[in-house]
Amino acid sequence: MRLRLLMAALAVLPVLVGAAMAADSPRLVGPKPFTEVPAAPALPAEVTDDVRKMRNYPEQPPVIPHSIRDYQIDLNFNKCLSCHSRRYTEQSQAPMVSISHYQDREGNMLGALAPRRYVCTSCHVQQTNAPPLVDNQFRDLDALASPPGGGR
Amino acid sequence: MALRDSVLAVWRTLTRPATFFSLGFLTLGGFIAGVAFWGGFNTALEATNREAFCISCHEMQTNPYEELKQTIHFTNRSGVRATCPDCHVPHNWTDKIARKMQASKEVWGHLFGSIETREKFVSLRRTLAEHEWHRLKANNSLECRNCHSAESMDITKQGARAARAHEQYLFTGQMTCIDCHKGIAHRLPDMTGVAQWDPQSQQPTRGH
Amino acid sequence: MTLTRRNYLKAQAAATAAAAANITLPVQAAPPGVGGDPGIKWSKAPCRFCGTGCGVMVGVKDNRVVATHGDMQHETNRGLNCVKGYFLSKIMYGADRLTTPLMRMKDGRFDKNGEFQPVTWDQAFDEMARQWKKTLKEKGPTAVGMFGSGQWTIWEGYAASKLMRAGFRSNNLDPNARHCMASAAVTFIRAFGSDEPMGCYDDMEHTDIFVLWGSNMAEMHPVLWTRVTDRRLTNPNSKIFVLSTYEHRSSDLADVSLVFKPGTDLAILNYIANYIVSNGLAKKEFVDKFVNIRRANTDIGYGLRPENTLEQRAQHANDAQVSNPSNWDEYVEFLKKYTLDYTAELTGVPKERLEALAKAYADPKLKVVSFWTMGFNQHVRGVWANHLVYNIHFLTGKISEPGNSPFSLTGQPSACGTAREVGTFAHRLPADMQVTNAEHRKAAERIWKLPDGLLPDKIGFHAVQQDRMLKDGKLNAYWIQVNNNLQTAPNTAQETYPGYRNPSNFVVVSDAYPTITAMAADVILPAAMWVEKEGAYGNAERRTHFWHQLVEAPGQARSDLWQLMEFSKRFTTDEVWPAEILDKNPEYKGKTLFDVLYANKQVNKYPVTDLEAGYRSAESEAFGFYAQKGLFEEYAEFGRGHGHDLAHFDEYHRTRGLQWPVVDNKETKWRYREGLDPYVKAGTGFHFYGNPDGKANLVFAPYEPPAESPDQEFDLWLVTGRVLEHWHSGSMTMRVPELYRAFPGAVLFMHPDDAAARNLRRGSEVRVVSRRGEIRSRVETRGRNRMPRGVVFVPFFDASQPINKVTLDATDPISKQTDFKKCAVKVVPSQMASAGEGKQ
Repeated sequence: MRLRLLMAALAVLPVLVGAAMAADSPRLVGPKPFTEVPAAPALPAEVTDDVRKMRNYPEQPPVIPHSIRDYQIDLNFNKCLSCHSRRYTEQSQAPMVSISHYQDREGNMLGALAPRRYVCTSCHVQQTNAPPLVDNQFRDLDALASPPGGGR
Repeated sequence: MALRDSVLAVWRTLTRPATFFSLGFLTLGGFIAGVAFWGGFNTALEATNREAFCISCHEMQTNPYEELKQTIHFTNRSGVRATCPDCHVPHNWTDKIARKMQASKEVWGHLFGSIETREKFVSLRRTLAEHEWHRLKANNSLECRNCHSAESMDITKQGARAARAHEQYLFTGQMTCIDCHKGIAHRLPDMTGVAQWDPQSQQPTRGH
Repeated sequence: MTLTRRNYLKAQAAATAAAAANITLPVQAAPPGVGGDPGIKWSKAPCRFCGTGCGVMVGVKDNRVVATHGDMQHETNRGLNCVKGYFLSKIMYGADRLTTPLMRMKDGRFDKNGEFQPVTWDQAFDEMARQWKKTLKEKGPTAVGMFGSGQWTIWEGYAASKLMRAGFRSNNLDPNARHCMASAAVTFIRAFGSDEPMGCYDDMEHTDIFVLWGSNMAEMHPVLWTRVTDRRLTNPNSKIFVLSTYEHRSSDLADVSLVFKPGTDLAILNYIANYIVSNGLAKKEFVDKFVNIRRANTDIGYGLRPENTLEQRAQHANDAQVSNPSNWDEYVEFLKKYTLDYTAELTGVPKERLEALAKAYADPKLKVVSFWTMGFNQHVRGVWANHLVYNIHFLTGKISEPGNSPFSLTGQPSACGTAREVGTFAHRLPADMQVTNAEHRKAAERIWKLPDGLLPDKIGFHAVQQDRMLKDGKLNAYWIQVNNNLQTAPNTAQETYPGYRNPSNFVVVSDAYPTITAMAADVILPAAMWVEKEGAYGNAERRTHFWHQLVEAPGQARSDLWQLMEFSKRFTTDEVWPAEILDKNPEYKGKTLFDVLYANKQVNKYPVTDLEAGYRSAESEAFGFYAQKGLFEEYAEFGRGHGHDLAHFDEYHRTRGLQWPVVDNKETKWRYREGLDPYVKAGTGFHFYGNPDGKANLVFAPYEPPAESPDQEFDLWLVTGRVLEHWHSGSMTMRVPELYRAFPGAVLFMHPDDAAARNLRRGSEVRVVSRRGEIRSRVETRGRNRMPRGVVFVPFFDASQPINKVTLDATDPISKQTDFKKCAVKVVPSQMASAGEGKQ
């Protein structure tokens, strides 16, 4: 009897391992087997709902909730700033570029965007509607500060 | 130059008086010739209004056309696309002819290589763009409106920000399409000093 | 809970000041939601990703990372991170973290064809030890090997080097940096006798002209790009030249974009030299005084398997590395071929752009920084390309001073610190020493307190050779740490996967996540990552920077350092060292490798109590001594007094990193230049002291074509590389939802006309096929990359589109670094493909 239980437990083990490695998407672990050539999923749609997402922590760059197709950021022109720079926010009702972006490398505050911050897309990225491949168990400060059941 | 020779030959023929044709023949013939000419003229004119003609010059092919390919006016959901003349040639006759006469300058530009390299094109980009902005500003963005009519816009299908901007500025007539929608089909030039687009508040920069 | 900006900055400043002063701040009392420090402890760490080496501040609460942001005090980035860096907080928290060792089992024991089952560390190590001992006994040290990483911490790489070379007496140790930096590293030694750049990132604030050779800094080194952008937008003389085989985000800010036909950059480099020389603009006196001129052997093959016809045909495939003394006149004569006409024709770059670039280099009033990354290094003539760019800087004397700098950027956070400085390459020892040099081996044996003649003198298998030897059954016990080689090695379907699954091989993978490589292994060891362990990295500007262990690793995950040291306990010297050495040195008999390598009265010299208050070190607690400190201090012995001086261990925990050589506690920003480098004597001007004669080597070499070029059937060039949002094979970034959703899968970037010609359009599913393998992908005709006709780009981060099944395992024959930028493919619609195979 005990042996049978043990056997049953052992039989379940690989399944448990499977659960531990639930993220078996080919995008994470490759084709199964490696020699297979999996189909490529269709290009996902961009998220353009203009809804702000809560940041994971204060200094996380917000993601871009609108289309940035054909946005020009070059020596001539920066399309992002045509709405997000201080001058145009009233007209565009877009959030103004954070004042942290007015600080140069030496820590001086400038009257306008610091040139080193010119390439917006180095930090701000658009999102697609692709569902994440695996859960991310990061918890923000609030989640830690108020554990379920009411911590405070 | 073959072009010049043929133009000269035509000119010589035209300036010689008629000697042995009857008036009736000339009148009727003139009428028929007129019809033929008119047809030919229009056909030729229309031929120059096709995109294939526009991009037969490498300047147009490698610069504005190459840039257009990336944009929503070239690829989009339904595959309805704007061709060069849709935006750059007026649709009504007098404007069209006026534009065509201007275009003779572009032929000149082609023959003399004023934008034959990318560098030359880029350095003239602001000037070229300004021509188009002025024209569209003056005609209240007519070529835009040939397809995008304010009346037919369903703002509930637009982003909240776009809808608000259209309500506030477009429908009230405060602004016209080109005021906000510059650079939608080609890369923008240096925008220093352009109203609503002045990069002054964008980059505390040197000129270049 | 929100923090006001002002209070937040104050808290941050206080925390950083406290960190600098070794104080841990008590938790402040503050009303909820308003400033203060809600119990977060902030500590510094380098970013986990690229070779830029940004500093980040890591906020920890209840043993979890809850926030990260750019470190204002770190010289490299001064408060900025790129999008990946800003999401560092989430990289350790993918739900599929490996938390227990796994082994392929059948009927309760190891079986190569079994399924993965959880085992204890003892079970895993027992099986590994059994396999290693069997292999060593049957085939000797050349049959065991290890593939390491430029993401190893310094002490991990160092511990691995000791274990492999001194423990198992095998030089079959190579890092993945071979795929990434070898051409640069090898050429630094060839040209200067000392690895790594003479300049530093500060060059960016001093220079006028930036020339990017095969480097898309805007995406791959975004924070360095902020410094380039800053300079370009504020200095009236500044210009950016971008050389690439296609246009990308760096081209967006370029004043001049030069798109050349793949491989022809060699001709452009020689054209510039020719322009300088033939217009009398060369600084001859600099060349005469500080430079030797040498001619490289040519027709050197492509680093393919020796039986390949390309190797058979090549005249100097076997002595590719040889160069012979030459002189100015021969060099000038050699350059004559590279005229403007010839170069424009060969490369496809318009003449006026080539000329503009040559003029910028030649102009004595302009300072020039040349940056390069994988376009140069992943090149079948990568060593030559590196030489040729140095040649231009020699001709103009624009070197080793602020703003004038040939600067090789690195891809990995410790490609320099670990792979190169520690010397985890198959041919290297610490501090630029070589395994083939008897003096160098002797020095290592002395510092390591090991018997004379113990260290092996033959160069081990380099990365690509390891794969070939695994496949051929000549390398049988193999340990892979901190990298995902089945996704990143070239020609994986033919040359890598068969070796991992070869029944005569035993493959172990240490990783934090189940990667494609781990899934193909026999044993998977769960690894601690980043701030789950105390670490040290060295970035591209010779900056060594440290971090403390800030949180505990999940489950049974352990750092690579612990794994290496703990595994060494399972071997005695009698089992792995030759009897004659032990007979001559009986005091080593019967000891474990742990005893002789780590408990050697040096590595175990420092007590755990030496740890900075408020921090733990899981490894040190496990071994009973401060392992990181002991390993670092022993390692630092190699370089002190030899131009590679490192500061004392504790100093690095106090600072935001220091640039070696650190002499009298002062770092060195520019090397080889009088007044800037303490090793250069007054009155000498320049002294390239890495070479015995104090001179640098100008080595000239011609254009030679790539190993494989498009033809009628395989009619497109394939380039592979990275994207901004993902780092390398994506094992960390694909698990961060925001980064994943920003760029969820690989695509095939292609010119719209190339697509139209194949009846394809954006979004079409295609097969990307080479002579070696294929993947399926989706066409992208717009977006960040603008491909010229005939060239396509597929990034390698997506495990479901392992593009390296398609690439070619041709390498630079000298550096053995793979060329991932040039092979021939065809792109066909998927439907057609299935129709062809009789499927619908």
